[in-house]
Amino acid sequence: MGKSIIRYAIWFVILILLQLVVFNNLQLSGYINPYIYVMFILILPYEISGWLLLIIGFLTGLTVDTFMNTFGMHSSATLLMAFLRPYVLTLFTDREDINPKGSPSMGINGFVWFLKYSIALIFMHHLSLFFIESFTFTNFFHTLWRVILSTLITTIFILIGQLLTVKK
Amino acid sequence: MNSLLRFIVKYQFLLLFLALEIFSLWLLSNHTYYQKSKIENVARSVSGYANSKINSAQSYFNLSETNRVLSQENLELRKQVATLSAKTEALYEMMGDTITDSLYLFKPAKVVNNSVNKQYNYLTLNKGSNHGVETEMGVVTNNGIIGIVIGVSPNYSTVISLLNVDLKISAKLKKSNHFGSLFWEGNSYQHITLGDIPQHVPIGIGDTIVTSEFSSIFPENIPIGVISSFSSKGSNFHTIKVKLFKDFKQLYNVWIVTNKQKQEKERLETLKDVG
Repeated sequence: MGKSIIRYAIWFVILILLQLVVFNNLQLSGYINPYIYVMFILILPYEISGWLLLIIGFLTGLTVDTFMNTFGMHSSATLLMAFLRPYVLTLFTDREDINPKGSPSMGINGFVWFLKYSIALIFMHHLSLFFIESFTFTNFFHTLWRVILSTLITTIFILIGQLLTVKK
Repeated sequence: MNSLLRFIVKYQFLLLFLALEIFSLWLLSNHTYYQKSKIENVARSVSGYANSKINSAQSYFNLSETNRVLSQENLELRKQVATLSAKTEALYEMMGDTITDSLYLFKPAKVVNNSVNKQYNYLTLNKGSNHGVETEMGVVTNNGIIGIVIGVSPNYSTVISLLNVDLKISAKLKKSNHFGSLFWEGNSYQHITLGDIPQHVPIGIGDTIVTSEFSSIFPENIPIGVISSFSSKGSNFHTIKVKLFKDFKQLYNVWIVTNKQKQEKERLETLKDVG
């Protein structure tokens, strides 16, 4: 248990640092802003209790908010993502597939499953984030386009990250 | 109370979510200053980008209108230039001519009518007898001779152009000082013919032709043009084609030149003839 906490803490630091140092400066054509730190919510263990999941989600977003001077934006979006995570998990997973001790990962659950799971949650996160950011529905399709493109790019980066950390 | 607790425990997940979500939205609204300025920045850059794109597209459709406005503006400026240059001209005349030697007097004039496409071409200048212009004065520019004044009215004068088959002017080779007569054959407005240069005179393409000192009308050594081709078939003289320096289609500012000692010279020459 203690070991996995340390592992997650390291993950947390790495992801936040990557997000702040690398991916925040990566603004592909002004449309695409990948937010790869949400991978932390994706890889939390199955057996995590609801309130802890929500608080971790909120704190993750708040950390990013603190560094990016965007109070509330990332915390509300990441909180929403954490809230939706159990529902998405039950939607995509059969009971017998879940090893309650483990956590969602591409190596165990397979590429297609992980792709569906991460795209669904990342899309919800980006949807709420970008609309809170623009704070208006006037450029609805413009914002939606940004959401879709950024979702794809974030997913690609997270899949690459999964590939790199898969244990052989 | 009990049921409330049970409700909270039952829906703890949703309630915690809602509580935290409300808290983060409160954070957001508490920092609307950031949000607002951020939104404004985003909006400004997006709209600025879009506007610049739209503008660059629209400017194509507005080209004809832009052209019209510009030509209108050109016209206005041209009017101003005309007014100002008339003033500077008046000042020049007051100052007198300080550049040239005392033998010749130069008066600035402008070409107001010109032709190059006839056999007998004439020019009209905007200076006349009121300005001291008389017939048989020469008209030159800085790189060529233009013609000779043949008629004068109070404010205008008519000039027989160098491009007139009737006009013959004395000219010489700058290199060897051999002189001949310059006339136009009536073909190309950029070329003129130099005749009466004897066969033995060595000439080459590119040699410069200048006015000679024998003319009492033009100062000597005004460049006229360069030899572009020559032939010497069946005569004792070269027939030399001269490419003019001055494009006669572009004439605008010219000088009317007076030889102050012209009468004296001519009187002396007629006396000799009589004698």
